[in-house]
Amino acid sequence: MSKQSPLHFHRMKDMPSTHLLGTGTPTCAGCGGLETLHTMYDILGDKTVFVNAAGCMTLLSVYPFTPFRGGWLYTSMASAPAGAQGVRDALDILLQKKKLSADENVEVVVITGDGTAYGMGMSATSGAMDRNLDFIYLCYDNEGYGNTGQQYSPATPHAARTSTSRGSHGYPGYKKDLFAIWAAHNPAYVATVIAAEPLDLAKKIEKIQAMSGPRMLISLAPCPTGWDYDPQLSVEIGRLAVQTGVWPLKEYSDGEVRHTKVPKQRKPVEEYLQLQGRFRHLFEPKRDAAGIAEIQSRINAYWDRVDAG
Amino acid sequence: MTRKLLTGNSAAAWGARLAGVDYIPAFPITPQTEIIEDLAGWIDRGEMDARMVTLESEHSMITAAGSAASSGVRAFTATSSQGLLYGMEMVYTVAGWRTPFVMVNVSRGLASPITLESDHNDIMAARDSGFLQIHCATCQEIADAILIAYRLAEHPDVRMPAIVNLDGFYLSFTREPVDLAKTSEASAFVGEYDPENLQFKGNSPLSQAMAVLGGGPYSYFRYEAHLAVQKALSVYDEIIDEFEDRFGRRYDMIDSYQMEDAEYVIVMLGSFSTKARDAVDSLRAAGWKAGLLRPRLFRPFPRQQIRQLLLGRRAVAVIDQNISMGMGGVLHSEFATALYGANDAPLLASYIGGLGGRDISQQEFFAIADELRQADERGEAPSPRLLYTEHELTEMRKLQAIAQAEHAEINQN
Amino acid sequence: MFRIRFHGRGGQGMKTASRILGTAFFNAGYEVQDAPRYGAERRGAPIFAYVRADRETINERGIIDRPDLVCVADDTLVGMPAAGVVQGMDAHTVLLINSHETAETWQKRLNTEARILILTATEDVEDRAELPYIGSRCAAAAAALTNVIERETLVAALTEELGHLPADIIAQNREIALRVFDEMAQHAGLVAPGSMPSANDYDSPDWIEMPFENAAISNLAIHAGATSVMVRTGLWRTMRPVINYPKCSGCAWICSTYCPDGAINVRADGFPEIDYDHCKGCLVCVAQCPPHAIESIAEHVAREQEAEASA
Repeated sequence: MSKQSPLHFHRMKDMPSTHLLGTGTPTCAGCGGLETLHTMYDILGDKTVFVNAAGCMTLLSVYPFTPFRGGWLYTSMASAPAGAQGVRDALDILLQKKKLSADENVEVVVITGDGTAYGMGMSATSGAMDRNLDFIYLCYDNEGYGNTGQQYSPATPHAARTSTSRGSHGYPGYKKDLFAIWAAHNPAYVATVIAAEPLDLAKKIEKIQAMSGPRMLISLAPCPTGWDYDPQLSVEIGRLAVQTGVWPLKEYSDGEVRHTKVPKQRKPVEEYLQLQGRFRHLFEPKRDAAGIAEIQSRINAYWDRVDAG
Repeated sequence: MTRKLLTGNSAAAWGARLAGVDYIPAFPITPQTEIIEDLAGWIDRGEMDARMVTLESEHSMITAAGSAASSGVRAFTATSSQGLLYGMEMVYTVAGWRTPFVMVNVSRGLASPITLESDHNDIMAARDSGFLQIHCATCQEIADAILIAYRLAEHPDVRMPAIVNLDGFYLSFTREPVDLAKTSEASAFVGEYDPENLQFKGNSPLSQAMAVLGGGPYSYFRYEAHLAVQKALSVYDEIIDEFEDRFGRRYDMIDSYQMEDAEYVIVMLGSFSTKARDAVDSLRAAGWKAGLLRPRLFRPFPRQQIRQLLLGRRAVAVIDQNISMGMGGVLHSEFATALYGANDAPLLASYIGGLGGRDISQQEFFAIADELRQADERGEAPSPRLLYTEHELTEMRKLQAIAQAEHAEINQN
Repeated sequence: MFRIRFHGRGGQGMKTASRILGTAFFNAGYEVQDAPRYGAERRGAPIFAYVRADRETINERGIIDRPDLVCVADDTLVGMPAAGVVQGMDAHTVLLINSHETAETWQKRLNTEARILILTATEDVEDRAELPYIGSRCAAAAAALTNVIERETLVAALTEELGHLPADIIAQNREIALRVFDEMAQHAGLVAPGSMPSANDYDSPDWIEMPFENAAISNLAIHAGATSVMVRTGLWRTMRPVINYPKCSGCAWICSTYCPDGAINVRADGFPEIDYDHCKGCLVCVAQCPPHAIESIAEHVAREQEAEASA
């Protein structure tokens, strides 16, 4: 495991040109979560064990096919961080007893969806941070229980239509602030990322490679199937999530939150919303000006607080 | 060897220590907690070279035990009752990983109602999971069974996790003399854990525990696990021969007492069976040909051995310290299955006793023997019976009178 | 009992087809079973749905292995083993293919005992993932071929199953379905109920004793890396991205990074190359290419061009 850090990623041109994660996985065409994972894997490399919770990514590996070149272990929806605890502790014991060489050591990476990270798996995640577990956690957040057909989850944004919030106003709740919940544990690192901003993503992954302790990443994962849009818009929608301020790219360490890519002039949120079928009821059959304004005002309020420091 | 007084929980902790475990994911629950307290104390004082981590739930604890064993270390954990049920998703899951480790379960009745006292419904819930199960009747057996369980679980032909079960209070908090093996002798018996080709490390690709598509591959993996658990029967016999050679104590998969010429047999699991042992002695003294049969190994289920021991007897009473609602005793069903179809099968009677730690008296054992004899004369098994006395019901009525104040007043008027 | 399978791609409406036909049978007084079959597959991947209908209570369950009718919405699936279109077909089976090609061509190509009919493909859509009305067309064709469902019964079932759609869409579906129903009327009754297997004369299952294999072999583990590349997810693709190299400026890190599947490799000369065995056809690369050097064309057209080029 390399924990050195001259930063390599300055320009898009620096992005890896060979890809480690095997093709042939059954994720949907245009999957924003897979896009994050493959970039992450390119940088982390195959000296990794991915500990997977129930979700869309369960099916990355279906016997006898795996896209991983290193390790992978499927656990359960609630307990992937505990699975990581067992693997990490075992590796440390074996290293200490010289039954494993330093060259055979691996980085342990939990991968879960938002249903796990924001809900069922929160207790196990909190516990892993309490114990200062040396691991990386990637949450691919597609804002719903995607693998079962996109029911609303604690990560679903206000007004989004899901298969369990089909009413005229969509989901009445508000997306939970997982970043703040995680940061409140004071782990080594927390960041939001998105595959549509590969440089920001790559820099953060490179940074955490040089760190130890709990390193927590939440990747907004545009989901053509669950969000109802043409798959070719995945990157465009991801970029708009950043440019409209819906998805602030930020990081936390040592008690401080820093925004890593602040949109100079935020685009109106409706540019983001109107590309997605899950928000179509805000525009058709008649524009829901009040609904859109409420979403916009919450985004503005967030950034006002950021600007106020 | 040193002989000292130990509680069942301490014996369990010693078993883990002597087995040279590397890793102990833990979570407290009564009546198991002393086990992890003992282990933590030894680790803190540098007397034991292992790492203990307290997880935030049994679900996580069993996950970590499984993932650590899947990563190449010898893991140990312990739980009880509600904790076992909270972790039940992972009990089934890690068994499917074919990951060998040992978990002690300190049997305690399940909610509701809540109780801390012993019965076996908790461990019966793990019956079909793939975990091997060894049931103990004495504190000595606990320490020894853990060493045997590691050998069995880690055997390349088996490679399944194992539960060593002991009864809450009756063993967990009860001190008995225990012979402890020397560390070196125990190590020589248990040996090193060899994960073979199933261990995560750099430069060697390994994906574990993925999904399958279709019933064909699913059936293969499930049935291979079943065959591996069954394989544990023959492996067990090899292991206990070696154990006896090294330590002088013999643990046949079925503990049979006074069975040579027994006509009437009592069948039980766990520590309550030692009371039945006394009852057999008394019955023998009164001229009865009574015997006791106690499976130590419950999974795999020693069907052939049970048939050999029971066919040709006159009548058998299975006393279940558990209850399957709407069916009755689980052990009774399993024995009925084992004996089905044989011409010389004995009459099989079902008793439910010892629920929630309820005692079973000697007189009750005698009365059971009497019912067996009457059944034998009639040629028909008696109806299933709950061991419960009129006195107990009277006492229960007093409690109800308090609980149902209005009702009590009406009765008084 | 009638046993009917519909084959298509995720998103093409095979579940809808099975539900329309199931409801039609039911309204015609039949006992019915209809079900879609999902796997790990997603949009564009081969899927199927099936319908059983009988005058008696239906006890048979699960996948239909001896179909009376196999109805294929997308003819690119016929030759794809993973799609299982030809599975269990025999001389009793009718194979109905939505295709621009003739029955004779398919008969030669498949060399099957099954009788082949063509549901004349009318659509000019580029992207086969969005074949319009195909669910209704397949259901209507199947209904006509059984000769036990009236026009009105079909219309009622279609209206019931598509009830969540706007009225004009339902009306279009109805019109197109009836056109197909009438077109197929000449073959009415060609699909006949199949029989049950007989206990007097059957092929014994070739059961074996499961051999014991220790965990080094029988563990649920994969001891090799990236075996998933053996799964050809390129078969899901209905639209194909094609790099116009003269226009390509060689900024391969863009398309290669954004491709969610990692199916764009960078060649030694620095130019990108699309791995068509695995490209699922999401077209993110088309949308993100800075000089607009990646174009999209319909997969079936691309395959025709390839076939012509190699001929």
